[in-house]
Amino acid sequence: MLGLQLAGVDVSFPGLAAPALAIDSLSVTAGSRVALTGASGSGKSTLISILTGLERAGQGRVLWGGVDICALSEGGRDRWRGANIGLVLQDFHLFPGLSALENVLLPARLSGAMTRDVGARAEHLLLRVGLARPTQMIETMSRGEMQRVAIARALLRKPGVVIADEPTASLDSDAGDAVGDLLLELSTESGCTLIVATHELALSRRMDRRIRLAAGRIVEDGVIEERAA
Amino acid sequence: MIGFILADLRRLWAGSLVVVLLVALATALGVAVTLQERALRLGSARAADKFDLVIGAPGSETQLVLSSIFLQPSPLPLMEGTVLPRLLADPRVASAAPVGFGDSFGGYAVVGTSTGLVGELEQLAEGRVFAALGEAVAGAAVDLPIGYAVKPTHGFAELGGHAHTELAYRIVGRLKPTDTAWDRAILVPMQAVWALHGMAAAEHQDADGHDDHPHDETAPGAEVDHPHIDADAVLDEDWSKATPGLPAILVKPKSIADAYKLRQDYRSNMTLAVFPGEVLTNLYATLGDAKRVLVGVTTGAQVLVAAAILLVTILHVGQRRRQIGALRAFGAPRTAVLVIVWSELFALTAAGVLIGFALGFGAAKLIAGYLSGESGVAMPVMFTAGDGFLVSAILAFAACLAMLPAVLAYRQSPAAALRA
Repeated sequence: MLGLQLAGVDVSFPGLAAPALAIDSLSVTAGSRVALTGASGSGKSTLISILTGLERAGQGRVLWGGVDICALSEGGRDRWRGANIGLVLQDFHLFPGLSALENVLLPARLSGAMTRDVGARAEHLLLRVGLARPTQMIETMSRGEMQRVAIARALLRKPGVVIADEPTASLDSDAGDAVGDLLLELSTESGCTLIVATHELALSRRMDRRIRLAAGRIVEDGVIEERAA
Repeated sequence: MIGFILADLRRLWAGSLVVVLLVALATALGVAVTLQERALRLGSARAADKFDLVIGAPGSETQLVLSSIFLQPSPLPLMEGTVLPRLLADPRVASAAPVGFGDSFGGYAVVGTSTGLVGELEQLAEGRVFAALGEAVAGAAVDLPIGYAVKPTHGFAELGGHAHTELAYRIVGRLKPTDTAWDRAILVPMQAVWALHGMAAAEHQDADGHDDHPHDETAPGAEVDHPHIDADAVLDEDWSKATPGLPAILVKPKSIADAYKLRQDYRSNMTLAVFPGEVLTNLYATLGDAKRVLVGVTTGAQVLVAAAILLVTILHVGQRRRQIGALRAFGAPRTAVLVIVWSELFALTAAGVLIGFALGFGAAKLIAGYLSGESGVAMPVMFTAGDGFLVSAILAFAACLAMLPAVLAYRQSPAAALRA
């Protein structure tokens, strides 16, 4: 479980006058569930790139549980991300030609974090997300099933944070609901912080807190009182 | 990691197959050219090895060697027959044997010579040496049984030669394989060749003008009125009696020093003496330029293939940006990405290179087999230590080439790749 302290972050892209992201300060309590909303181009994706360390903020500090990931080298950020962040993306980014189980295990294998426990946990997670056949090839699965494999993969190494970028946007509503349920349930079960970028109201309403971005700035930040049952 | 690489290659099997085939064919081309050239050179050098010194009439050295060692059918000028007894009497000569060409039978050259050369070439595999005018010894690769009657044709049948009806040789023996062109020859007594061509010793005395260039004869009637030749006449190998003109004499000197002295003594306006090895070396020097052109062409082809593969892989890495970005996003280290891209490409090129070497070897074997069948000269297709170096060099080059797309992938920003 990791908390976030973000200070003085400023991201600009060459050729653009306005910064893509300008956040003076933002803190997220460890274990909380945060929805990130905003129109396309509002800076959601940039913020997620910064939070996951995929991109380095030009200015400012991004502290996850006391570690400033802006100070890490590129390889160091890869390692840190692999160990601490579970990532779920809109397009799944699963690898065809591999089974569901192999897909779940691939990042751990590539970063040399493979143990027997990790293997057992992968099978358990696949069952938990409702997939009974771990050896099924990924390309034979439905989109809803693929996103569930992606969730199992995100949780494999017991990350402190799960970050999902539009996890339901490419799914039909039933599959999307199931994925939303799983994200909330599993992050609660494993006690990790959950940050979900989404513009689906139904999903964002189920979170503890909603942050709305516009033109790279936080324009709304509030605790949600009313929760969907 | 290996599972991922294999899955990746399986997914891209068609493209992978094309890359492997391209590399294999380009490699095979180079390997076949190198091996074939080497086989030709080694084979002809070994074939010439059996013959130390060749003496003929003044003319083309190359032609003398091609005709006497490789039995190429083409007319040679004749030298005085008296050269042979003079050589035989020379203390520096271990053995000397006349050779007379011009006739053939079913694609095999019928070569007139002495019993001495038969023993000199190789031992007999079966039968015995010819002892009468109408007897013959077949080379190892001559597909005719002992006892078969050979009716020689003047020249080669396919070149419009005419049959000699006066005499049929009976095959009485067969040589062991020598791996030279002589394996495809039928050896007959020199005296019979003279007789067939109207150059019998007796006639020689009074028919000088007629006999100067018997092999160049074009008038079909010229040989019609030959007297009957007695096939059972016992051979008389006393060459000191008047000897008709000879196209070539194969000489075995007693020592290397003798060989050089003999060559010097017999280079005059009457005769020409050559070391076949030396003539071949000169020939290779000429062919060397041709080889360089061939090697240049194959190298060009290989460079084109390398460039094509490089282009394909760079485009391929571009197309895989998202996949590579995702690998990084999910925590795969950059080095893992580097290793994946590099090993996929290197595995394909290495497989192509190895298959190419096998293909090239096979092709060279096939060509050499065909050429050997045609000429009788064994063509040893083989790799040398230098080829091992070549393989390593090619593989090292492939490894460097594969680094380029791998580094491109390594340097890619995962966030940018995912956005793409």
